[in-house]
Amino acid sequence: MDMEASKKKLGLKERYNHLTRGLGWETTYQPMEKVFPYTRYEGIKIHDWDKWEDPFRLTMDAYWKYQGEKEKKLYAIIDAFAQNNGHLGVSDARYINTLKLFIQGVSPLEYMAHRGFAHVGRQFDGVSARIACQMQSVDELRHAQTQMHTVSNYNKYYNGMHSWRHWHDRVWYLSVPKSFFDDAMSAGPFEFVVAISFAFEYVLTNLLFVPFMSGAAYNGDMATVTFGFSAQSDESRHMTLGLEIIKFILEQDPGNVPIVQRWLDKWFWRGYKVLTLVSMMMDYMLPKKVMSWKEAWEIYGEQNGGALFNDLARYGIRKPKGWEQASIEKDHLSHQAWSTFYNYGAAALFHTWTPTDGEKDWLSAKYPDTFDKLYRPRFEHWEQQAKEGKRFYNGTLPMLCTTCQIPMFFTEPTDPTKICYRESDYKGDKYHFCSDHCKDIFDYEPEKYVQSWLPVHQIYQGNCFNPGVDPTVPGFDPLRAVLDYYHTNFGRDNFDFEGSEDQKNFARWHGDDAGGA
Amino acid sequence: MAYRLTIEPLGETVEVDDGQTILDAALRKGIYLPHACCHGLCATCKIDVLEGEVDHGDASSFALMDFERDEGKTLACCATLQSDVVISAEVEADPDAQSIPVLDFVGKVSRLETLTPTIKGVFIELEQPLHFQAGQYVNLAIPGEHFARPFSLANAPGGSSIELNVRIVPGGAGTGYVHNRLQVGDTVRLSGPYGRFFVRKSAQLPTIFMAGGSGLSSPRSMIHELLKERCAQPITLVYGQRTKDELYYHEEFLALAQQNPTFTYVPALSHEPQDSGWSGFRGFVHQAAQAHFNGDFRGHKAYLCGPPLMIDACITTLMQGRLFERDIYTEKFISSADAQQARSPLFKNV
Repeated sequence: MDMEASKKKLGLKERYNHLTRGLGWETTYQPMEKVFPYTRYEGIKIHDWDKWEDPFRLTMDAYWKYQGEKEKKLYAIIDAFAQNNGHLGVSDARYINTLKLFIQGVSPLEYMAHRGFAHVGRQFDGVSARIACQMQSVDELRHAQTQMHTVSNYNKYYNGMHSWRHWHDRVWYLSVPKSFFDDAMSAGPFEFVVAISFAFEYVLTNLLFVPFMSGAAYNGDMATVTFGFSAQSDESRHMTLGLEIIKFILEQDPGNVPIVQRWLDKWFWRGYKVLTLVSMMMDYMLPKKVMSWKEAWEIYGEQNGGALFNDLARYGIRKPKGWEQASIEKDHLSHQAWSTFYNYGAAALFHTWTPTDGEKDWLSAKYPDTFDKLYRPRFEHWEQQAKEGKRFYNGTLPMLCTTCQIPMFFTEPTDPTKICYRESDYKGDKYHFCSDHCKDIFDYEPEKYVQSWLPVHQIYQGNCFNPGVDPTVPGFDPLRAVLDYYHTNFGRDNFDFEGSEDQKNFARWHGDDAGGA
Repeated sequence: MAYRLTIEPLGETVEVDDGQTILDAALRKGIYLPHACCHGLCATCKIDVLEGEVDHGDASSFALMDFERDEGKTLACCATLQSDVVISAEVEADPDAQSIPVLDFVGKVSRLETLTPTIKGVFIELEQPLHFQAGQYVNLAIPGEHFARPFSLANAPGGSSIELNVRIVPGGAGTGYVHNRLQVGDTVRLSGPYGRFFVRKSAQLPTIFMAGGSGLSSPRSMIHELLKERCAQPITLVYGQRTKDELYYHEEFLALAQQNPTFTYVPALSHEPQDSGWSGFRGFVHQAAQAHFNGDFRGHKAYLCGPPLMIDACITTLMQGRLFERDIYTEKFISSADAQQARSPLFKNV
């Protein structure tokens, strides 16, 4: 006899049901809608929370075991990296600037995700949805923490990473990711999970993580690769949560479909705009390139996202409104973004540079229709100016789009030589937008977006100087005063990579410095 | 040499022969593991190896990625044992699933019937009774071929006589054998039963069967069984072919509908000549269902069987009529070509 029935264990589903359904109850001292006050005003109708199918069934004991194991592995590698002077092993000190962008712009979002999921993890009426969100909340805290720890080793040797948390709430370009998340956090719980779990974690996450993590791998940064893998093993859980959320909401009531469609239109566009920073990272900031932004968009956006929206069509959901425009822009996005940062390099907290000849050729090959025609001449012009000792720095700051808070540098979808301006009037004031879709988002909820804290506006209104600064004294340098308010190490965190302390140190550590130090 | 395989969370242990896959060993002991393509492409059968060593075999590097191998995942349909092994699989007790061990059968062809210009009915007398659930299939060994071919059982369960309905596939080795070489009196070998396509009777809900092309076998078996058991719930068969001469078993279903007030038969023809005198529905199966149910499928269980395009259209129609994945069942035969299709992971079963 080769078949024995040993003691029958509880199945995963049963165990998980004990953890979720088994721990919930219908409240009696207070009505449910008072205990869960946020789940009704968005118009989403949920008839039966029991129809929620747990997207993953990880019990708490298993969760701690897995996560503990991941931490052990990760910190062993971080230690080894530090002991072996891993900061010297990267391809080129320019690479470090992608890490600056990551710790300034992305890691704070992990922390905000932790807070956001803790919030909805309290607010959903359904226990299973609450538990899934609570687990993700713990994950996100872990991600923020492991990223800080990984990058802290680089912070000992390179500039531009020392006050990232302070910067995230103040610096002009960091308001792009910050306002994205604040927008989601200040929405209702259903909009939050559609925005973050589905539109961001599911539809767009590959366009954020794959470029950073592959970029790290290509450029010799094994510590970052490891926290990436460690985080990504949680990511699959977050993605399945995103899928279950969208299915659950769409199946519960036909009236939910148009609400979700509007959120997808909005959050696809909001997320895609944040990825502008990733596009320039891929095409300009990585010394060793992984793939172009255009290629990444074609694979992860057009192909994978296309398959997803074909399936969603069964629910009556169509592709987000901005989808076609994102595909038109794939030939332009990174070039326009990097040009802008090159311009404002004095006010950015990472270094900028013009691409090398080899890099320009790579860009020509990847962007045959646009780079040579529209963007190469611009970079060659700046290169020539820099050679003549006149490196161009724009001494002012750009106007920001009221919705996405990105400088208004995007061009018309039909004409790449003309800047795209849109505006709306609301209660006697004029608001400016970079695109039709950002304008649409504002027009639907103007009361929300008139409250946007636009860093450039705030600077010009005099709200971004240290206490006691007097802008009326003769010779006052407003840019310098703003950078002081930012806690910038002026001359070390900003300006061109050429001549930077990072560049000199990296050369000296590698014994390449002819003059010695 | 043989190793022992323990399957969690059931806690059941089976012997696995040298070179035998985990999936084959489990199925042969009546333990259902989720699976679909059976050759390492679709990843439906992904399991966790908790203890012991396995060889991943021919698992595709897309279906089982490197990091998953590192995490101790494997594909049951390709994995063989290198030691005693404990696995954990997503097996849930389905109240309607019977654990029927897969066995090998030998039989003789008792009758061959031309059902339509392209479909043959093959009637086989087995040497021993084949116990199966209506909707399941067998793998028929094709002489001279390395692989067996799956065919759904078209008769209601019970006894040792079985019926297969086989549509000729141009250039197909298996169906070519059945259509061109198979003779009454021939000995055939098959194994079964396989498949997770069966009626969820415990749900106690009205059923809709949607069948097209050569996909009638399973629904026919299921309907015969339900009617035999005097099922109290309404049963509707929406059955489509291109033309009237392809509409096999039409008379049989007309008669069943006459005799059984709970059974409704909705035939549909998509390419019937306008002047043929056909008074039934003209159009595709999903359109016929949409019209018959007035676009509202709530409160049903739906069972779909037929060509991929038909299945896809039917699922879309059902979902637009607010019947979702948990109430839709299909039998999928995955070929290498299907695995390349760009689908998102939004749906698991449909």
